[in-house]
Amino acid sequence: MKPNLFISTSRVEEQAQEAGRLPGRRTAQVTGMEPLDRQVWRMIIRDPYLAAHAPAGAFINLYSADRMTMMPRPFGISRVLEGEQIEIIFAVVGQGTYEFSRLQPDMAVDLLGPLGHGFDLEKPAHYLLVGGGLGVPPLIRAAQCLQGQSGVRTTALLGYRDHRFADAIMGSLTDRLESIDNASGDVITLLDRVRGDIDPGRTIILTCGPLPMMRAVAAWARKAGLPAQCCMESRMGCGYGTCVACVVDTVDGRLKVCKDGPVFAADRLIWNTDEDKKETR
Amino acid sequence: MSGLTIMDPLEPHAWRHGTVVAGTLWKNPVGTASGTFNLDACGGYYDVSQMGAISTKGVSPVPWEGNPTPRTAESPAGMVNSVGLQNPGVDHYLVDELPRLKALGANVITNVAGHSDEDYATVVERLADSPADMLEINVSCPNVSHGGMSVGTDAKALNRLITRLRALTDKPMVVKLTPNVTDIVEVARAAVDGGADALSLINTLVGMRIDINTGRPILAQGTGGVSGPCILPIALSFVWRVRQALPEVPIIGIGGIDSGLTALEFLYAGANAVEVGAAALVDPVAPMRVARELDDLLDERPELADLLEKGECWR
Repeated sequence: MKPNLFISTSRVEEQAQEAGRLPGRRTAQVTGMEPLDRQVWRMIIRDPYLAAHAPAGAFINLYSADRMTMMPRPFGISRVLEGEQIEIIFAVVGQGTYEFSRLQPDMAVDLLGPLGHGFDLEKPAHYLLVGGGLGVPPLIRAAQCLQGQSGVRTTALLGYRDHRFADAIMGSLTDRLESIDNASGDVITLLDRVRGDIDPGRTIILTCGPLPMMRAVAAWARKAGLPAQCCMESRMGCGYGTCVACVVDTVDGRLKVCKDGPVFAADRLIWNTDEDKKETR
Repeated sequence: MSGLTIMDPLEPHAWRHGTVVAGTLWKNPVGTASGTFNLDACGGYYDVSQMGAISTKGVSPVPWEGNPTPRTAESPAGMVNSVGLQNPGVDHYLVDELPRLKALGANVITNVAGHSDEDYATVVERLADSPADMLEINVSCPNVSHGGMSVGTDAKALNRLITRLRALTDKPMVVKLTPNVTDIVEVARAAVDGGADALSLINTLVGMRIDINTGRPILAQGTGGVSGPCILPIALSFVWRVRQALPEVPIIGIGGIDSGLTALEFLYAGANAVEVGAAALVDPVAPMRVARELDDLLDERPELADLLEKGECWR
C-alpha cells in the first residue's frame, strides 16, 4: 500500500519546532502489529515527537492511505515504548480500522497528534482506573504515567464483553487488577467489590468506556464522594478543534470533546439519559 | 500531487502571485473556508497572516448551541456535517477572535450567519465599524422567516436581504451561495443586484449517510452538508457558469480543493481566489500547503500564469 505523500516525520517535526509550532500531519513508520483478540489489534508506531509528548488520555488521528476514506480515525495512546515508539489498541469496526489492521511492520501510516486534553494525574492518590472494552487503552497510558510515582497506588477495574484482552498489559503496570466479563457483571460490580479498600479523601477515579458505563461510574463516584475524570468518546470530524462536530454538554457550556477534552471532570458533565441511549444505539 | 516538488509549508515565503477581491488585497489567492478554521485550533500549526484570507466560522447575533450529535459522517472522498453553526455570537467575536486575528496580521473575512433577515442585519450592523476586512453573508442556513427554506434558494428573498444589508455597511460584502438550487445564475444575479461586491461558491450540498446496523441516519439531524474532494467537479461547474453569466463579479471558488493543482482549476474556471475547507479537517496545514503549491506551480510553469493573466480561460 502506498503511503500518503505528506512530508516525512522528521522534517515536519523539525520545521514545526523551529517555527514554534505544533507538528502537523506526518507520515510515520509502523513497527509492530499483532492481534490481541478477535478483531482487536495492537499497533506500534515509531514517532519521536509522540513518544516525547503523550499525556495520558491524549489521542492521535490516523489517516487512511485511500482518499475515499479520508476523514481521520481517533485512537487513544495506550503506551509509550522504548525506541521512540507508541502503542495503540483498536478494534476493527469499519473500513478505516480494517485497513489499519492490515498494516505491517515497516509500512507507513499518516498521523496527527498528540491531540486533546488528558487526565490530571498531579495528586498523589489511590487511582481507580475503571475501563470498559476499548475504553481501556487511555487508562493503560495513565497507569504507565502513574507507575513508580511516590504516594500513588493504582487499582484497575476492567469490564469486557467476553475476552479480557487488555489484562496482561494493564496487570504489568498496576498494583491491583480486577476484571469481569458481561456474563458475570460489570465495572460497578467491581467497584462495589473494592469499596472496602477505598479511603474517600485519597481516591480518584479515572474512567473510559461506553457512555452508559461512564454515566454509571460517575453516579457511583458521586454517591461514594469520590472525584472522577471521564475520558469521553465521540464521533469526531477533524479531531483537533476546528470543525465543532464532537461536542458534549457541560456546566461550562457545549464543549469540544477533541480539544476541550476528551477528559472532563465527571461533575462538569451534563448526563442526558436520552442522548446516551441514542449515542449507543 | 504529481509533478510537484514537496515544499515546506511552514518556511517563510515571499508570495509572488497575489490577487484582489472586491478591492481587498490577498497576498495569495488561497483562503480558509468558513467553518473549517478556528484560531485556537489552527493558529498552532501555521502563521495565519500568510493566508490570502481567513474566513471565520459563521457569526450569529447571539450564541448558538448548534445541532445535536452526531454531527458528522464520512462520505466517499468527503464528509457530511450538520454542526448547525455553533458559535459564541457576535459580541464574543468582536472582543475575542477578531482582535486576535487582526493582531496576528490576518486578512479577515467575517462570515455572517442568521436564521432571519433581522439576524443578518444585526450582525452586519455590529460589524460595520469593526476591523474585519470583508463580510461573507452565509445565506444557506435554514431561514425561519422564509418558511424553513434557506434564503439563498429564493432569488427574491435573497435580493431583498442583500439590499437591506448593503445599506448597513461600506465593507466589501461577499455573498456565499448554496448549490442546492435549480438555477445558480438566478440567485447569483439577485445577490449582485442587491449590492454584493463578490460571490463565494459553493457551500455544501445536502446529503446523508445511513448506519447499516440500525437503518437510521448517522447524523442526528438526518441530513447535512457534503464537502470534500467528492464535490470538486460540481463546484467547478457552478463557478464556471456564474463566471460566464457575470464576467465582472469577483468570485471566490470553494469545493474540494486540496492542492495547488485543484486550486488552479478553479482560477481557470473564473474564480479570483479560492478557499480550502474540508482538506483542512484532514490536515491542519492544508490551506497553507495549497497556497504554497499554487504559488510555486505558477512560478515553475509561467505558461500557466500567462493563461490566467489573460483571464480568458473560462470563455
